[in-house]
Amino acid sequence: MKDLSFLHECERETGEKISSCYQCYRCTTGCPVVSDMDILPHRLIRYVILGERERALQSGTIWTCLQCYTCSMRCPNDIDVARIFDTLRKAAVREDKARDLDTWRFDRYFLDSVKRHGRLHELEAIMRYKLMKKDLFGDSKMGMSMLLKGRMGILPHNIKDRKGMKALFEQADKLSAVSGQQEKSNADPT
Amino acid sequence: MRLSYYPGCSLKTSSRFYEASILKVFSHYGIELEEVDDWSCCGASAAHTIDEHLAHLLSARNLALAEARDYPLFAPCSACYIRSRMTNEKVRDDADFQTEVNEALAPLVCEGTLEVKNIIEVLEEYVGVEAMAKNNRHDLSGLKAVPYYGCVLTRTMRITPYDDKENPESMDVLIEALGMKVVAWPYKMECCGAGKTLTDKDVTRRLSEKIMDMAITLGADVIVTPCPLCQMNLDLLPLIGRTAASLPVLFLPEVFELALFGSLTGTGSHIIPADGVLKKIGEA
Repeated sequence: MKDLSFLHECERETGEKISSCYQCYRCTTGCPVVSDMDILPHRLIRYVILGERERALQSGTIWTCLQCYTCSMRCPNDIDVARIFDTLRKAAVREDKARDLDTWRFDRYFLDSVKRHGRLHELEAIMRYKLMKKDLFGDSKMGMSMLLKGRMGILPHNIKDRKGMKALFEQADKLSAVSGQQEKSNADPT
Repeated sequence: MRLSYYPGCSLKTSSRFYEASILKVFSHYGIELEEVDDWSCCGASAAHTIDEHLAHLLSARNLALAEARDYPLFAPCSACYIRSRMTNEKVRDDADFQTEVNEALAPLVCEGTLEVKNIIEVLEEYVGVEAMAKNNRHDLSGLKAVPYYGCVLTRTMRITPYDDKENPESMDVLIEALGMKVVAWPYKMECCGAGKTLTDKDVTRRLSEKIMDMAITLGADVIVTPCPLCQMNLDLLPLIGRTAASLPVLFLPEVFELALFGSLTGTGSHIIPADGVLKKIGEA
């Protein structure tokens, strides 16, 4: 009997009835970036069901995913496939198994900017990302064009209640910490 | 007619000309917009990727601020619209969730009492197709448009989409009412590459090129979209490696500008030049 704990863990965290998947392929055939994926979407769902935890968390697929929701829309069993991949990303990062961290890092810079100013300061997030990638001048043509057309904010836009925004981020951290602990206690049979 | 207006980060920077177009067009039709005081970022896709609690709190903050007024909340950016709706309906329908959110947001309070609307809904409800078809000073019948909704607008799980998930027609109707021809095409909802532009440029180029090529193959003159990210990704094509010719990508209110004023306030902001479009308009 296969170990169902990974399936149950995923179903609990996402609220999705993952086990109702009957491998119809619709998610895979609709995916616009399927050619870049190491594990096909429907197969990744199958791995979740079969308890292939390491394969799932270490996949490139969950990071290639665009979150365009084509798969979720078309699933005949109403499984939110995109959401499952999104959730696997979080677990992969938490356990230091993420295959490709670029998306995660950019999203972190994005959120740091929001935490600081209340609104996204694009230039700041982009520059931090480019510094991290050690590729400051790679998209300079694109960047210059956007700047010259007035489509890139040079100065940040600060909201009035920046204190409140900082507190909001702290509250979110608290809520996440609580649910993380709850999961641990659910998994523990004693 | 008054609405609370949630511009979102894009409409103040990369899609500034989208806001300018909205303000000009809405003013013409007598729709008043009151920008939500001290609004903040909705988190877009970054927040829900990193932390779902954060994603909901960021949206709830703006809803709470907007609830200070009784007007519906107008969010032209597809991401802000969807994130706001998702949080709004969860707060409205799940009492425990509402308590949790408000404990975290205090002293702000979010109760999920407002309606959240996108630009297509607002134009349909507050202007109406009949009004759009009348009194236009300019004839747009020489132009063919493909309506590009983008992947976010109607692809909602668990909450009722405002239009069909695979083949919405709400924007088609508006464009036609203004006199522009709408070309039927299969890529209404195809993803442009979303947030991959920076992290994986080739994916964006490939996906956006597919969309651009299809529009050109079907004989369109313009691509019309309501989503700031879609407009940007398609508009950036010449700068991320596309060598073939490209069609101008207009925001939905820019089509209204053409019909009403025969001009575009945002011509300077388009990367793929939109001036050529002006030559194909006639006097009504």
